[in-house]
Amino acid sequence: MAIYILRRMISTIAVMAMVGIFVFLLLRLAPGDPATIIAGTKGTPEMIAAIREQLGLDQPLPVQFVRWALSVLGGDFGVSMFFGRPVLELISQRLEATISLSILTMAVSVTIGVSFGILAAWRAGGLVDRILTAFATLGFSVPVFVVGFFLIYFFAIRTRWLPVQGYEPIEHGIGPWLVHLILPTVTLGIPYIAFIARVARASLLEVLLEDYMRTALAKGASSYSMLFHHALKNAGVPILTVIGISFAYLIGGVVITETVFNIPGVGRLVVDAINNRDYPIIQGVLILTSGLYVLINLAVDLSYTLVDPRIRY
Amino acid sequence: MTISRRDFIRVGMAVGTAVSIPSILRAQTSPADSRTVRMVMYPPTVFDPIVGTDDVSQNHGLAIYDTLFALDSKFMPQPQMVGKWGVSDDKKTYTFELRDGLGWHDGGPVTAADCVASIRRWGQVASGGQLLMERARDISRKDDKTFTISLKEPLGVLIDLLAKVSVPSLFIMREKDATRPAADRVTASIGSGPFKFNEALAKPGASFTYDRNEQYVPRGELSDGLAGGKLVKVDRVTWINIADQQTAIAALQAGEVDFLSTPSADFYSVIESDPNLALQVLDKGGQDMCLRMNFLQKPFDNVKARQAMLHLIDQEAFLRVMAPDPKYAYTVTSIFGNGTPYSNDENTGWFKRGGDPERAKQLFKEAGYAGEKVVILDPTDWRAVNDASQLLAAELRKIGVNAELASSDWGGVLERQANKGPVENGGWSICITSDFDFTQGDPVTAVFLDASGEGFAGWPKNAEYEALRARWADVETLEERKALARKMQGIWWDFIGDIRLGQAVLPIARRKTLTNLIEMPRIAMWNMQKA
Repeated sequence: MAIYILRRMISTIAVMAMVGIFVFLLLRLAPGDPATIIAGTKGTPEMIAAIREQLGLDQPLPVQFVRWALSVLGGDFGVSMFFGRPVLELISQRLEATISLSILTMAVSVTIGVSFGILAAWRAGGLVDRILTAFATLGFSVPVFVVGFFLIYFFAIRTRWLPVQGYEPIEHGIGPWLVHLILPTVTLGIPYIAFIARVARASLLEVLLEDYMRTALAKGASSYSMLFHHALKNAGVPILTVIGISFAYLIGGVVITETVFNIPGVGRLVVDAINNRDYPIIQGVLILTSGLYVLINLAVDLSYTLVDPRIRY
Repeated sequence: MTISRRDFIRVGMAVGTAVSIPSILRAQTSPADSRTVRMVMYPPTVFDPIVGTDDVSQNHGLAIYDTLFALDSKFMPQPQMVGKWGVSDDKKTYTFELRDGLGWHDGGPVTAADCVASIRRWGQVASGGQLLMERARDISRKDDKTFTISLKEPLGVLIDLLAKVSVPSLFIMREKDATRPAADRVTASIGSGPFKFNEALAKPGASFTYDRNEQYVPRGELSDGLAGGKLVKVDRVTWINIADQQTAIAALQAGEVDFLSTPSADFYSVIESDPNLALQVLDKGGQDMCLRMNFLQKPFDNVKARQAMLHLIDQEAFLRVMAPDPKYAYTVTSIFGNGTPYSNDENTGWFKRGGDPERAKQLFKEAGYAGEKVVILDPTDWRAVNDASQLLAAELRKIGVNAELASSDWGGVLERQANKGPVENGGWSICITSDFDFTQGDPVTAVFLDASGEGFAGWPKNAEYEALRARWADVETLEERKALARKMQGIWWDFIGDIRLGQAVLPIARRKTLTNLIEMPRIAMWNMQKA
């Protein structure tokens, strides 16, 4: 397994390098010039040229790339062209909000989604199953911003129970941190709950129809034992897969929720950076996100061994 | 099953506690603080207001830096950092003495050397500053509090230039910051103004915090426009960037923020119907929307084609898409805007309600227009201009012009706008933009009023007009300037330097507990109070 992990880690570096090259070239080929944006609408050509020179954008593309690649290899992702601060500092400032929202959303989604899936599978075809299936379809179909504004209207404007927007770092206390994350978590979690519930239900239903389940029933196994000792463990691989994919997707996909609830996370950082053509931030965020994505996939692959003893690396 | 009274009370208390927990927790995180103002503002991305020519950088500059002179509510220059000043009999030497009590946020005193270095740096980039540097023989310090500007020949607008709020304004920086090249951005936000930038709480792109400068010594006069005593009546102001308008309005309604700098017109009715909120116009002149044509390329290198555009435009139709609430939208026919002393009606006979598409079609024909592609730069992230660009494309197509929208975000528009080449080589034909109405009162610094051929996008060129514009700096009386303005406008509407699409006055939204806001084109944070 150690060799497998090592191989996967090396592939992670390769993926990050490819993403880096691709993003670097894509940004330079896209229209828009950071120097022009910095100089603003009233910037003179001389001013724009001087800013380009100061930022090193007047250098040939290969020179720019080599400089950037060498600094990244040295662990330096550069300095924001606008804010003049190190990219890693800016990302770390925003990372806590995004990670908090993602982990909380995932925890809620997995707990509720798997529970719903089990319940729906156990009562397949019944009223509970229909209600949960309807919820899953609805949760999957309604856009995040619609749910978000709906929740804001009722829980923030009408009742004033929860804040409309913003984020409080966990160092300010668990209470404020949690209060600011309740509405975003619910908003972001609904489609994931629906997704995980659907997959869990389908996976469990498939297992419940297996011969060995009938055998277990014939041997007098209790419902609890059948469901949790036999079925859930065997249905675990696809559920773990979607949880892994969802989590990785979540990291990169929280931007709408961050926008609706004005959470200063990495998603907002990268969207603003794209608008400003702040190349170092965009490159830094995408490289780190791709690395995280690969690592999450690795963690999911490794977790398969826990639920399926036949899988070995 | 029976429910005892005790069970009922127990369940009721549990439910009540559960329901109130979020409010209790929230109360702990957001203490009522009448000394803190939270403003929804676009975040500055460039903190050096000499390099960053956007309005946000200027607002940041106004908070932390001070100025030698400042405009009062009638747009007249008044001393601010300057205590005493005088001019020699030949009007070639100005002497300025700084008032007492001026100090930098890092503790040092403001000196004449700081002022000299700041003027020189500003003179590299600002159009008004460049004019000053052209005319200046010498700018030098006499002692720690006194400096002089010696001129080769008199410059009637000198004090006006020093007080201007058109970008970039002359903010006084520390000598060690101001001696950097103009393009080398100053990153240390240390000024001598009424607010200190709180570096520790800065979250770039998300929020910025400004604390009251307790050492600031305001002038003794009452606050008047951007002039007079800058009395800060709150301890802290936080600028919050809320990208989504609906979220920003909800935050304002919930009392999480006190001020919203640019509410969308879609929400005016929501704000007006909320008893706790108010709309207020701080910048009475608002923005003049302007259509710029590329003078260097076909078809607008031909005056007939430009005249065609002038007759095609129905300002009221454009205002309906750019500023839908008629309370805040006006037509404008003077190149000097609606609200400046130089606004006039010279040579404005072309204005016709509804426009004159038939005349426009005829004029395009007379211009020899043969179906060339007319590319309109269309910023999709600037809604008003995006809508106006689409309307313009539709109007042009109706009269047989081959109009094409070049849609991109604002960054893409800015880059393409700098391309002077033909459309086949990535150039453009038309772009729509805006500038402050009050700025149009100063042809020296107003980019729209430059017809040197080297100025703002479109690069209009007219020697006769430019000869008159060059005289502006030397004219001293208001009446003389008004007469000059009429002549300039007369020529402008003959060669059609650009086309005005209307004036949009944009209100801010605030909670009614926030009062005494300064009604000027820049957002100044002194004087305001929170109940």
